[in-house]
Parts: sequence; structure tokens; C-alpha cells
Amino acid sequence: MKRFVFALVALCLIVGVVAAAPKTKVKIALIVESTVDDKGWCQAMHDAITAVQKKYGSALVEYSYSEKMKPVDAGSAARQYVAKGFDIIICHGAQYKNLVLEMAEEFPKTTFAFGTSGEIGPKNVFTYMPESEETGYVNGIIAGLVTKSNIIGLVGPVDGGDAARYNRGFILGVRAVNPKANVQVAYTGSFGDFVKAAELAHTQIKAGADVLTGSAQQALGALRAVAEYKDKNIWWLGQDTAQLTIPESYKVIAAASYAYEAVVEQLIDKRQAGVLGGEVLPLNFANGGFIYKFNDKVGPVLTADIRKAAEKALADITANKITIPWKDVK
Amino acid sequence: MNIFAFITNVLSIGIPFSVSLLLASTGEMFNQRAGIFNLGCEGIMSMGAFLAFMAPHTLQGTALEPWANMLGILAAMLMGGLMGMLFALATVTFRAPQGIAGIGLHMLGWGVAGTLFRFFVGGVTGIPGLKPVFLGMNALAYLAFLLVPASWYILFKTPWGLKVRAVGTYPRAADTMGVNVARTRYQALIAGGVLAGLAGAYLSLGQAKMFADDIVAGRGFIAVALVYFGRWNPFLILGGSLLFSIAQSLQLAIQVQGIAFPYEFAVMLPYVLVILVLAFAGGSTVRGPAELGKPYNREKRV
Repeated sequence: MKRFVFALVALCLIVGVVAAAPKTKVKIALIVESTVDDKGWCQAMHDAITAVQKKYGSALVEYSYSEKMKPVDAGSAARQYVAKGFDIIICHGAQYKNLVLEMAEEFPKTTFAFGTSGEIGPKNVFTYMPESEETGYVNGIIAGLVTKSNIIGLVGPVDGGDAARYNRGFILGVRAVNPKANVQVAYTGSFGDFVKAAELAHTQIKAGADVLTGSAQQALGALRAVAEYKDKNIWWLGQDTAQLTIPESYKVIAAASYAYEAVVEQLIDKRQAGVLGGEVLPLNFANGGFIYKFNDKVGPVLTADIRKAAEKALADITANKITIPWKDVK
Repeated sequence: MNIFAFITNVLSIGIPFSVSLLLASTGEMFNQRAGIFNLGCEGIMSMGAFLAFMAPHTLQGTALEPWANMLGILAAMLMGGLMGMLFALATVTFRAPQGIAGIGLHMLGWGVAGTLFRFFVGGVTGIPGLKPVFLGMNALAYLAFLLVPASWYILFKTPWGLKVRAVGTYPRAADTMGVNVARTRYQALIAGGVLAGLAGAYLSLGQAKMFADDIVAGRGFIAVALVYFGRWNPFLILGGSLLFSIAQSLQLAIQVQGIAFPYEFAVMLPYVLVILVLAFAGGSTVRGPAELGKPYNREKRV
């Protein structure tokens, strides 16, 4: 009971401090390169904004979005949003950086945000950065304990941004529980080439990998390749919880996801407090920026011990008991 | 890992991945032999991939399920043929500039496939796809390899092949000899479209076993480059497709082996290789179709 009351008080504090309802109406616009129902990168941000909108009501939070915006086209969309009096314009992708910096100078009263990026922007630009070494670390712990061949495959998109952090966290997680295991890291060079990701996953598996992971949209291609080894003990750890709801989920032991609500709420709060930008907003387990789910239907591969080890890592990371020196991994 | 196993792995992954390139570039070869280059290949592949995916996706659990893959392939080929015909209408009948019309066709195919997918399916869904029949490759892959000698025979040993080459080399002479230039170009573009549609079907049914907006990911444009690479000859095009795909699987295997080599360069390897071969093949005595890219107008004096 004591614990429950404590948790309740803590929750109230968090909600009270982090997520106060907007005092006045706030208008948020989202610009994405793919679509808001892509079950991945863009949808995660869209879902977060709609969740925040639902929480406070559309009278307080107005929301509009533009899809399939290449960085070249995004400028005109952003200008229209400024003209319509939008307060916060989120350009969801590091590719919009130059555009955002240009627009921010032109429209100093509007708050712009782009990510993922760890750079500190001008005074009306927020950036957001998932500290995805945390999700990578937990996935790595499971991978290190599950592997029998001691070969683990990592299907990366490019070695940059949150993918780089995820990969390094993953390697550290594996090392923490199984120093003998070898993580084979390779990149497709693309965020969206499913076919190449599948090819890379097959290459990893033929080289002996029995646990694989990967991030970005392309990872789905790799998961589909893993699912082709239906009766073999080859497993997948996801960096997107949507992978737990698709037919191939029988290969997914666990998956993490970004919950951008934390970023959206911070954006609203800070703007209403008069801070228009100039900060990096982190996403981590401690601020509720990540969701982690185990797949109970995956079968005996997820033993009680493995689950316990992963849960302990999750709790330690959330409580800041362990640090993940991802920058030390080459 | 021993070297033999390494090579076997590279080949066993690289060869099946050459099939969609081979199909698309063989189709493009017919287009170019008839004097038209079709940059819309990528768009036709997108539509082909989408339709081939839709048949097994929608027919799951119905009486038609055993035939679903076949129906998907047929739908992809039919759509490819129609898009080839549309391109012929633009470039042969209305003599539109081929480069611009091709880019238009690419965007049309890519956009329509993505939009329809989003409307009818959305998200991410897999399909069972084609089953391997021999040495881990499916029937469509073997069909593609058989198509190489067949295309060579059609192009160099049949009257139709002669007509195609004639309208791509010197359409005025062909016209004088009673060859219907427009009709032959239409036929070649439809044939090319059918093969591009099939290439798309191979991507969604045989390789990825799913569909996504960007599933083709530039392979249509690589197919166009491979036609130049293969000097408009089916066997050389086969060589080019294999070289590109094997270079691709080799670079992935090198990365997986953990050999210290910047991955950015590894990813570039297949493309650099094609550029190098193109550069060195420049002195070849084989000339491309002389009238490639030029619309034919009977009324115009030359």
C-alpha cells in the first residue's frame, strides 16, 4: 500500500510538473517524409501528438500535418503553417536541419523542432534525441543470453544518429552478459531498402548468427528474412513495438519503441513558459520516452531468467544506476 | 569460416538477388533496341510489385489461394504491359521527350502504387511468397535465366527482332521497307513493360515477401544502366546483373566478417564497379541503337 501511495504521488508529481495542461491554445504542425501511418518512424511522432491532443482536447491543442515532404518541398509547407499562426512546427527527421535553421531565422517567434539530433539549435529551435543506447542495451542483454552460436547479427541502416547509439548500446548489453559473443555489425546504407536489409540478414544468418537485431524502417525486411527460418532457432530483437503485432512476431523476443509524448509535452510546456528553443530534449526510459515490451507468445526462448535480467537492466537504467558508455564503442 | 563456404554464401545470396535486375534490364533492352529509353522502369516495377503482392494478400483463405501467386504475377505483367503502352502513347504517338516522359511514368507508378497500398492495406503486412523449387531459388528465377537465351534468339534470329533493331537503328529505312515503325515500337515498349512488371512481382513475391512504398529502391534505374553496361545484348546484361548483385552480396559479407573497412565504401562498391566497367567498356566496338532517344516523324524531312 505504501508503495502504491508513493507511486501515485510520484505519478501526480510527474504529471503535474512535466505535463501541465497548456494555458492557452497551442497549434502544432508536423512535417514528415513518409506517411503518418507508416507503422514506424513518422507514425510514432504522429501518434504522440494525437495522444497529447486527446489528453488536453482539441480546443487546447490544434494539430495539422503534411506527409511525403522531401526537404525541398517542406519549406513551402512550413511557411504556410507559419502564415496560419502555428506555434510549434515539428520537422520529423534530421534531413530537415538546414530548412529548419533557415526558417527559424526568418520567423523568430515560431518554435521549430527537428530530430533526431543532439545539436543545440538557435533560440527558437528545439532538437530531440532518443538516447537509444538504453533500448539497445536491454535488447543486447537478451541477445547475449539467448545466443547459442555466440554470433549475433546487427542490421544497421547507417552509422549515425540514434541508430549509432542503439547499435553501441546493444553491443555493450551483449558484452555485459556474454563476453564471448561476437556481434557482427553491418550496414545497408539505407533507411528504407527492405530488400537489401533482407539480403544482409540472410548473409548474417549464413555466417552463423542466431539472434539478430536492427533499427529504422528497413529492419522489417531483415525481420521478414529471419521469419523465413521458421523451424530454426533464429530470433529477432526489435527496435519498434509494432513488430510485435505483425505475423512475423513469433520470431520477436522483445521490442522497444519511442514514445514521443515526452517530447511533445516538453515542447508545449517550454513554449508556454516562454522558452522557444535552444535546448536538446532527450528521450529515455526515465522520462517515459521509451516503451519496452516482451513478447509472451514467443515461447520457451524467453526464459524467466532472461526476462529477469532484462527487467533488472530496465530498472537500473530508469533509476540511473548504470551508465552506458556508448561513445567508447568504436 | 573457410573460403569455400564464404564464396558459396556470397553466390547463394547474390544470384537470386540478380533476378529482378535481370528481368527489368532485359525488358529495357527491348525498349532501347527499338530506339526508346524508358526511365519509367522503376515506376512500372513499383506497380508490378504492388499488384503481385495484392493477389496473395486479398485471396488468403479463399478458394483461389493456390493460384494467388500466379494471378499476382499475371496482374503485374498485364499492368506492366499497359504502362508500357501508355509510355508508347506519350513517346511514339505524341513524340514527347523520352527522358521527361520516363520520369513522369516513374512518379506515376511509384505514387499510385504507394497510394493504393495505403488505401487498401496500409502498414506492414507480409505474404507467404514464392517457394523455392531448386537450390533455394523459385521458379520465377529460373524462368528469368531461361529468358536470356530466349531474348537473344528473339532479337537476333526472328523477323520481329530484326524489325525491332531496324526501327531503333534507322527507322526511316525500316519505314521505306514497309515496317510499321510506330507499331513495332509499341510492341517493344509493351514487351519491356511486361518484363518490368514481372521484375517488380519478383521483388515483392520472391524476395521481400512484402510491399512497401520504396520497395524498388532505385533498382529500376540500375536496370537502365545495366542495359548500357551490357551493350544491348541479353548475355552481357545477364553478366552485368550478376556482377552487380554478387558485388552487393560480397560487400555485405565483407562487412559481416568484421573486416576493418569503412562501411560507406563497402556500400558503394557495386555502384563503383558498374561505373568502372562502363568507363572501360567505352571503347567497345559495339554501338548502341543509333536512333536511341529520338522520336520518329515520317513527315519530317532530314
